[in-house]
Amino acid sequence: MQRALLSWLVGAAALVTLAFLALPVVAIFAHTTPRHLVEQLSNPVVRDAFLVSLKTSLIAQALILLLGTPTAFLLATRRFRGHAVAVTLVELPLVLPPAVAGIGLLAAFGRLGLLGSTFDALGITLPFTQTAVTIAVAYVASPLYIRQAIAAFEATDPTLAAASRTLGAGPTRTFFRVVLPLARGGLIAGLALSFARGLGEFGATIMFAGSLQRVTQTLPLAIYAEFDRNFDATLAMSGVLVLVSVLLLLGLRIGLTWPRSASNRSLYLFGPSASG
Amino acid sequence: MLRCAFVVLSIVLGVAVGQASARPSAQLTVYAAASLTDVFPKIDSGQRYQFGGSNTLAAQITQGAPADVFASANMTLPTQLFAKGLCSKPVVFTRNTLVVVVPKANPASIHGIYDLAKAGVKLVVAGPGVPVGSYTLQILKNMNLSGRVLKNVVSRETDVREVLAKVALGEADAGFVYSTDAKTVSGKVTIVKVPAWAQPKVQYGICVVSRSTDKADAQAFIKRVLSKAGQARMLQYGFLPRVKRKTR
Repeated sequence: MQRALLSWLVGAAALVTLAFLALPVVAIFAHTTPRHLVEQLSNPVVRDAFLVSLKTSLIAQALILLLGTPTAFLLATRRFRGHAVAVTLVELPLVLPPAVAGIGLLAAFGRLGLLGSTFDALGITLPFTQTAVTIAVAYVASPLYIRQAIAAFEATDPTLAAASRTLGAGPTRTFFRVVLPLARGGLIAGLALSFARGLGEFGATIMFAGSLQRVTQTLPLAIYAEFDRNFDATLAMSGVLVLVSVLLLLGLRIGLTWPRSASNRSLYLFGPSASG
Repeated sequence: MLRCAFVVLSIVLGVAVGQASARPSAQLTVYAAASLTDVFPKIDSGQRYQFGGSNTLAAQITQGAPADVFASANMTLPTQLFAKGLCSKPVVFTRNTLVVVVPKANPASIHGIYDLAKAGVKLVVAGPGVPVGSYTLQILKNMNLSGRVLKNVVSRETDVREVLAKVALGEADAGFVYSTDAKTVSGKVTIVKVPAWAQPKVQYGICVVSRSTDKADAQAFIKRVLSKAGQARMLQYGFLPRVKRKTR
């Protein structure tokens, strides 16, 4: 009797949770007719926001990949004085409220900021430019990639890298031919997470870069701006973001599990086995 | 040990849900324009306020937000809500004027409105749906400066206080705000006046939200704002009397 009650309670809790998670997503598409949503895709506000989001997110991800990978590798394989501080710095943007990140970016790179006069002398101003959006996105999204990359590198078998070296391969060749492929799963997972986070960034962007159509207005900013003027446009942009997120997850699942061996039969994309 | 934690968690949740559904009785929820941030709590400190762009607040009320009173920086938005049956007939409770603010250091050397058309000026305005944003567009139209000044806009903010903040922080070269907002950061900004003939008619409207369960209290709040004491407080903060005095 007690066991039946328990399983009933567990089932009910799961049902409520799943419904709670599914409802907002379903409601976006159910709120208005599909034709209205598709019509909105030719709305210049929607189109411009999509292009700004795409461009800034892709560039930010490229930066994160190029600079974050060696950082993660260093933090994963070497122990040095200040290692804990470095890891904390890397994880900080993760827990920092986005608005605080925005204030910080202004305080550092704004006109009156720490580096403001230096940039001024070089003729660069950052606030209100698309570059500022890219910087804000890169700042809030990088810890998601770097943390996952550190875990991925830490999980690679060091004896394999050592074996590669004893067979005569240099450190660079070892890294690209042995370590990187081994860590590939975790790196891709980290990239997907940071891409999704960057795409949704709002607080830091609006503080540091402002909001101007075609220049700095990303999809989340446009959603907020159109909320009271054109709710259909808001729904369409939300729908686009939902679809992108779903495609990201799908692509990730395919990418991680397709040419895999039996050792990577994990159901979870971002769990501990994802670095296999 | 774990079971204990589970029980405690359930109790905490229960109390939280109980608190959420039991509304504190006499406290109203007032949705008010961002420019009223400082003055409204001084007129009545006992209420719960939500400040923001009047258009965002109106949209939230349309979507069912639990407001009792709506105080907007224009008459258009509350009139639209009234037409949809979402609030009572709005009344004018105060007026305001617009000014241009520049950072104290004045990096772009703005000394008059026409300087806003100079190349490279970083101008911040509110979005066109925000009352102060649409008033800005009216001013520029009245002065025949729309094309030349609007191309210097670098950001469209969601309420007037954000415009003010960007200028006060020195990030923007200039911004259009209400004269009452400029007074709140007088040490950080300099005011550049907008000529009186170009000023649009700025009237703030207030109404009781139809969904309110506290209509009597909401009505009393509005009465307090319209009272002699309330109006005196508004004048103290730089707002204009709600009825324009007829100049002889």
